[in-house]
Amino acid sequence: MPPPADLASDVSGVRVDDEGIRAHSVDEVVLDVLFDGRRIWSFWLQRDGESTGGSYVVAWPAALRRYLNGTTRLQLVEHVTGFVAYDAEVRLGQGDARIAVVNERGLPLGIDKSLRLAQTFDTRSAEHVAPLLDSIEEVLTALRKAGIEAFPAYGTLLGAVRGGRLIGHDSDADIGYVSDFTHPVDVVRESFRLQRALADMGYSIQRYSGAAFKVDVLEADGSVRGLDVFGGFLADGNLHLMGEIRAPFEREWVFPLGTTTLEGRELPAPANTDAFLTATYGPSWRVPDPAYQFGTPPSTARRLNGWFRGTRVQREAWDRTYSRLPSEPPDIRPSRFARWVRRQEGRVPARVVDIGCGTATDDLWFARRGASVLGLDYALRGSEPVAELAAAEGVDLTFRDMNLSELRSTLAQGARVAQQPGPRVVTARHIADATDRVGRAHLWRACDMMLRGGGRLYVEVLTDRGTDDSFAREQHLRPVPMRRVLRELEGRGATVLSHRQTRARPHSRAGHRIGRLVVEWRR
Amino acid sequence: MATVRRKAGSAGARLRVRAKQAARNLGRFRAGVHAESLQALRERVTVLEQEVQECRQLNLRLAELTDVVQELLLPMAQRDEERLSMLLEKYSRGL
Repeated sequence: MPPPADLASDVSGVRVDDEGIRAHSVDEVVLDVLFDGRRIWSFWLQRDGESTGGSYVVAWPAALRRYLNGTTRLQLVEHVTGFVAYDAEVRLGQGDARIAVVNERGLPLGIDKSLRLAQTFDTRSAEHVAPLLDSIEEVLTALRKAGIEAFPAYGTLLGAVRGGRLIGHDSDADIGYVSDFTHPVDVVRESFRLQRALADMGYSIQRYSGAAFKVDVLEADGSVRGLDVFGGFLADGNLHLMGEIRAPFEREWVFPLGTTTLEGRELPAPANTDAFLTATYGPSWRVPDPAYQFGTPPSTARRLNGWFRGTRVQREAWDRTYSRLPSEPPDIRPSRFARWVRRQEGRVPARVVDIGCGTATDDLWFARRGASVLGLDYALRGSEPVAELAAAEGVDLTFRDMNLSELRSTLAQGARVAQQPGPRVVTARHIADATDRVGRAHLWRACDMMLRGGGRLYVEVLTDRGTDDSFAREQHLRPVPMRRVLRELEGRGATVLSHRQTRARPHSRAGHRIGRLVVEWRR
Repeated sequence: MATVRRKAGSAGARLRVRAKQAARNLGRFRAGVHAESLQALRERVTVLEQEVQECRQLNLRLAELTDVVQELLLPMAQRDEERLSMLLEKYSRGL
């Protein structure tokens, strides 16, 4: 039996199956997908669908697919008008149970604007939203203490101005500010200063770029919420705001700040919210669009990329990898590289600095054999299980944050290591091939600094990905030819004592190829 | 007379054909030159865009360097002003 469709709807021919949703509409339309009465996902039919046979087929988002095994009452609702275009009991996959899109704690999830599953605000009660509002106010206050007049931005401002509420299909809160500075260098320096001020207040900060970072706020129930703070500035008659905006703008449209109301709380807002939201979302910002995607002009992306970005090379990939690590303690077996280092040194080195330590199993192996080991990485989540083991065992193993894409971080860690006199071994296993050209320049600089008291650098690097080998993809690596590594090191004043390359599969050219180098700085 | 006129006519026809060929060749030559210069311009714009991005990326590096220098100079300045004054004076003399 065909599902009952609202006669006023322009959407027709709806079919739902395991691949996705098929529908026809002459005009573009934004549709909400409801499972058992709850919104799960929204999309633009023509923009997001594939045109086929006079209809559009929109595939299920990858993040949702693993839940699609069972039955549900599926409704397709036009977001703006509320017209129900489809309403039927459907079965997806082979299961018989009701489909439940929930997290491990049973809390309802929905697809957010980035096509990720998240606890969207429409699934949260007032008591659940209150801690978020507390966090927004707390970060705004902290920024004010640091001398910055910030305000809710992006979807948070949109929700406040449009209806005084958080937007149902949103899942996070954003904060923005417009700097008094007009040059990117000064804007970045101010952002660094802000980071220091917030860190001094006890907040944990994760930097996204030279002008944006995340502040972790501890909420009353003990959970940690990250609020994004986007820096902006006015120059050449334009407002620039990380991470999407460059639009003609007047200073008077921002300052003096006005106010807006969000969930009953009065918060600061740009003086002209209409102009600000038009710069953010275009003139149609008043029309709700749960599947909105930024159409950032390439020239704006180039500017913001060039001025501010490039400090998170492969970071998301590593965070994803480490979020899937098993919770049980890792098996501490040394890599071939670690055993090779010990053989080269003739003994377990007294002091080891491991740049790009990853899961740090080699570090614990060295530390258990009496070495004093420092592990450095920008994604320290990977070494947390080993850090716990090391603390329990009382071995000399410490970890510090070091981001090779940030010169500040490289110089600071290089100097801290160099502070302690005497020789040491520095290891860099699959790190020159895990970063980019800038990161490698910083890596060699850090090694140069750390080995001022003598010692050697041991490098392992992917030099050829092979033709039938998934190693590079699994390890987030990009091969670097040996001749380039040699050129870079020698250009940095290093002496390469030895270098060689080996195939992962000795009798086949299909496998990847690894290069190893022993390096010194002779002074 | 008729022969002279016939010869002149065929010479004129040959001339017209050659003129057309010459015009066509010139057109092809111009189009080739145009396409080449357009391609060269495209390549030049790509290179220029890369160079502009490289220049933009210096903003972040400069900010990082300035930040490090400032934060390290400050405690130095606060701890041993006399020595720092001497160093700065020496540094200035070397500029």
